[in-house]
Amino acid sequence: MIRTPLRPLARILDARAKGENPDAIERENIRLRGEATRDRARARAEGRLLVMAALFLAGFVTVGTRMGMLAAVEPQEPQLASSGEAILAQRADILDRNGRVLATNLVTHALYAQPMMMVDPVGTADKLAGIFPDLDRDRLVRDFTGGRKFLWIKKKISPEQMQAVHDIGDPGLLFGPREMRLYPNGALAAHIMGGASFGREGVDSAEVIGVAGVEKAFDGWLRDPANAGAPLRLSIDLTVQAAMEEVLYGGMKLMDAKGATGILMEVATGEIVAMASLPDFDPNNRPAPLTKGDASDSPLFNRAVQGVYELGSTFKIFAVAQALEMGLVNPQTMIETKTPMYFGKHRIKDYRNYGPQLTVTDVIAKSSNVGTARIATMIGGEAQQDFLRRMGFFESTKVELAEAPTGRPLLPPRWGELVTLTVSYGHGMSASPLHLAAGYAMLANGGRRVTPTLIHGAAPTPGEQIIRPEVARQAVDMMRKVVTEGTASFGEVAGYQVAGKTGTAEKPKPGGGYWDERNINTFASVFPASDPKYVLIVSMDEAVDTSGSEPRRTAGWTAVPIAAEVVRRTAPLLGLRPVPEPADPEAITLVRN
Amino acid sequence: MSYLEANLKTVPTGLRKVLYLNWPVIILLTAVACTGFLMLYSVAGGNLQTWAEPQMKRFGLGMVAMLVVAFVPIWFWRNVSALVYVVALLLLVAVELFGDIGMGAQRWLEIGPFRLQPSELMKVALVMMLAAYYDWLDVSRTSRPLWVAIPVALILLPTALVLKQPDLGTSIMLILGGGIVMFVAGVSLWYFATVLAAGAGLIFSVLQSRGTPWQLLHDYQFRRIDTFLDPGSDPLGAGYNIMQAQIALGSGGWAGRGFMQGTQSRLNFLPEKHTDFIFTTLAEEFGFVGAFSLLMLYALILAFCILSALSNRDRYSAIVTLGIGGTLFVFVTVNMAMVMGLIPVVGAPLPLVSYGGTAMMILLMAFGVVQSAHVHRPR
Repeated sequence: MIRTPLRPLARILDARAKGENPDAIERENIRLRGEATRDRARARAEGRLLVMAALFLAGFVTVGTRMGMLAAVEPQEPQLASSGEAILAQRADILDRNGRVLATNLVTHALYAQPMMMVDPVGTADKLAGIFPDLDRDRLVRDFTGGRKFLWIKKKISPEQMQAVHDIGDPGLLFGPREMRLYPNGALAAHIMGGASFGREGVDSAEVIGVAGVEKAFDGWLRDPANAGAPLRLSIDLTVQAAMEEVLYGGMKLMDAKGATGILMEVATGEIVAMASLPDFDPNNRPAPLTKGDASDSPLFNRAVQGVYELGSTFKIFAVAQALEMGLVNPQTMIETKTPMYFGKHRIKDYRNYGPQLTVTDVIAKSSNVGTARIATMIGGEAQQDFLRRMGFFESTKVELAEAPTGRPLLPPRWGELVTLTVSYGHGMSASPLHLAAGYAMLANGGRRVTPTLIHGAAPTPGEQIIRPEVARQAVDMMRKVVTEGTASFGEVAGYQVAGKTGTAEKPKPGGGYWDERNINTFASVFPASDPKYVLIVSMDEAVDTSGSEPRRTAGWTAVPIAAEVVRRTAPLLGLRPVPEPADPEAITLVRN
Repeated sequence: MSYLEANLKTVPTGLRKVLYLNWPVIILLTAVACTGFLMLYSVAGGNLQTWAEPQMKRFGLGMVAMLVVAFVPIWFWRNVSALVYVVALLLLVAVELFGDIGMGAQRWLEIGPFRLQPSELMKVALVMMLAAYYDWLDVSRTSRPLWVAIPVALILLPTALVLKQPDLGTSIMLILGGGIVMFVAGVSLWYFATVLAAGAGLIFSVLQSRGTPWQLLHDYQFRRIDTFLDPGSDPLGAGYNIMQAQIALGSGGWAGRGFMQGTQSRLNFLPEKHTDFIFTTLAEEFGFVGAFSLLMLYALILAFCILSALSNRDRYSAIVTLGIGGTLFVFVTVNMAMVMGLIPVVGAPLPLVSYGGTAMMILLMAFGVVQSAHVHRPR
C-alpha cells in the first residue's frame, strides 16, 4: 500500500518558497484524508442501508402475501383435532319396556382453570363466585394466585353457566367437554337407575361409571363399544312406575309413614313392571351416603330389594299351600284355633279369638296365627325349609341391581320346632319384599318358580314346578276370600278381582324384643284372581291410619287401601279390563216368572 | 467540532423549521393513528369513550411533543443520547424493584399520575445510544472486537432486565432494534453470521431443554411454540388466539365485512382485541384491502425514513433515522406476522394503532428525533 505523506517535501518547499505556512498543507491533507474515510464509511453505510431495505422489503412481501393467502381462504371454524365422537354417546341409553328414555347422555362441560394464564385472578374469582354461589371466593383467590398450574372448578356446568363463564372472558378459564349421565324423569325409578359419576377424568373427556342400581350392575355392558350404542331395555313401564310412586307417596304422607315400598311384577315371567322405594332421591344429583345412623334410613336405601323384614302373616299362605300340596289338608279341613296356644314356654296368640275351629280357608281369611302354626306342625321343619328354599327365600334375589346381593334374608341360626311354627306366620326370619313378590308370583302363575328380573323380553327359562296348578288355584281362591270376606276388605277393586294376604309385623327393637306400635304393614296381592297376571306387594313402614277414633296400625287399614289404589290406577295402564266377577253358581236363585 | 456544527449557518432557524419538517412522515403517522382510532371505536362496540377518545388525546399530546422534539437541534439529542439511555436503564431497574404487576408481568412504573412502561422508552433510547456511539467511534474501529463488545453489552443489559419482567416480545425487539443499528453502522458481517449461528444453536438447546431440570423457558412459552407449529392441536386452549385471529382474517376476505360489522372481535371471541390483536379487527372489517393498505402506510413511513437517512450526511442523524424507522417496521412486521400465525405469539403491539399510552407517546417523540435530524441536516 502506498502511503501518501501528510507533509510531502516537494509541496512544503514549494510553499516555503511562496512564503506560505507549510502547516496548512498538513491540515489540508488531514482533512482530505478524513473526508475520504467518511466517504468510504458512507458508501459502506449506504450499501448496508440497501441490504436493510431489501430485508424490510422481504418482510413486507412475506406479511403481505400471508395476508392475501388468509383473505383468499374460506374461513373454517376450528375443529378439535381429537374428535369429540370418541367420548360422546359412549354409554348406552336405558329405556323402559315401551322405549321411553330412562337414562341418556348429555354433552356438557367441565370447568377448569390454568391460573398462570389468567389476566385478573382476583376479579375472575369474584365473578366465578357470583355465577356459582357454592364456590368459596377466598379459596378461589388462593388457588388462582398460589402458583397452581391447573385445577378443576366445576365438574358439570349448564350451558347458561358456561356462557356466563365465557363472558368473564379470562383466558385462564377453560372448558373440557363432558359426557354426563342424564335421568330425564328425575327421581322416578331412582333406586332402579341408581346413578352414575365420573371415573378417570381428563381435560378432553371423562369416563362415566355406574355407581348403583342397573347403572352399576350393567356398567360393563353399557360401556361396551361392541354393543354399538344399543340401548338397554328394562322391564319397567314408566307410566305404571309413575302412578305407583304417586300413590305410594300420597299414602305415605297420609298415614305418616317413615317409608313405603311397592313392587309390581308379571307373574309368568318375573319381569318387574314397577318397583319403588320411598323416600327416594334424584339420581341426577345422588346424595352422599349417610355417615352415621342407620343406613336403611337413607333415601339411597332400596327397601324393595335391600330391606329385609319379618313379613308377618303374608307368609301364612306358603304354609297352607305346602300343606295342600303335601295332601295334609284341603281348603275345608277344620283346624284347631283355640288361642292362645302354648309351645313350651312360648305363647302363640291370635289378634282376636276366632273360636275353637276354622276351615283352612278361614285360617287364611281371618289370618289365624294359631291355625297356621298347627298346619306347620303337620308339615314339619325339614319340609318347610325345603319349600322356602325352593321358592328362593334362603338366598338374595338375583335381580339385576348392584344392591341385590346385600338383600340377604336373615335366617334363624338353628331351625328348631318353635322356629317352624313362627316362620309359618312370618316371624323369626326376614326377607325382602322382592322375595315375597317372587313367592306370590309362584302361587299366581300355577306353581312355577319365578326369578325376578328387570330386563324386558329375555326369554325366561321355565321355573321349577313347586306346587301343582290345582293347589296354586286353591291358594289364589283363598287369598281372594281374604279380600272379599277377610282382613283385606279395603283391597277390593271393582272388576279387577284382587286376591291377597295382609301382614302386620312388629319391628324388632335394636336391643331385642319388638316395638308395640311400630309395624311393617304389608299387603301381598295378585290380580285378577280368575287368571292372575300380576303380583303387587305394598309395604308401609310405621304407617298409621288416624281416620277412626283410635289409631289403627294393621295392614288392613294401611297397606291394603294403598295397594287397592295402586291397582285401580295401574291396571288400566297394564291393559287389563275390568270384568264382572263370575258369580258363584250356588248363589244363583232361580225365580219363577 | 463536528462537521455538522461547522455548517450551522445553512440550517433553518425559528419557525422556518416548520417548512423543513419531513411532512410526508407526519401525514403518514396521522393516517396510521386515525386507522387506530377507527378500530378502537369499532372494537369497543361503537363506543368512543372506551378506548378511542383517550387514544386521540394521547395522539394529540404526542404530536405536540413530537414537534417540540423536532425543533430542538439534533446535536442536542445526540449529546443527551447517553443520558436518555442511562435514565431508561435506571427506570428498568426501578420497575424491577417497585413496578406494578399487570398481566402477570412487571412492566409498569407509577410516577405521579403517569403510568410509564420503561421498556417502551428503552426501545428508543437504545437506538439513540447506539447511534451516538457509532457517531463518536472512529469508523476504522467499527469492527474491532472490543468496540463491538461495547454496543453488544449496551443491548444485552436492558434486554436482560426486560426479559426478567418477563417480556419476551420486547426483549426480541430490543435485540432486533440494536442489531439494525449495528448493521447499518457497518459492523463486519462476520459478527452477524456468528450471532445467527449462535442463535440457531440457542434455539436448538432451548428446544432440547424441554422437560429437563434445566428447562430454559416457561411451560407456557413452550406451549406457544407448540401452538405456533400446529395451532389446530389445541384450538380451545393455547391455540385459541391464533385460530380466532386467522378466522377473523379469513372471514374478512378481500373487501372485508364493513366497518363495525366484524363478528369475531365484536362477539368477544378474540382476546387482547384492543391491543396486540387489533389488527385482526381491521382485517375482518376492511379485508385484505384495508390490511394491506395499513401495511403500505407503515412501509411508506419506513421508505421516507430511508430516503431521509440517505440524504443526510450526518452520521448520527442517518443512523438514528434509520434505527427508529427500522424499529417501527420491525414492530409492525412482528405484530402482523404473529397475528397471522407466521411466528409464535409474543407480546408485541401494533405501533400507533394498538391501545396504549406510553408506547404511542414515546414513538411519536422518537419520530420527533427523526424530524429533528431531517430539519437540522447539513446542507
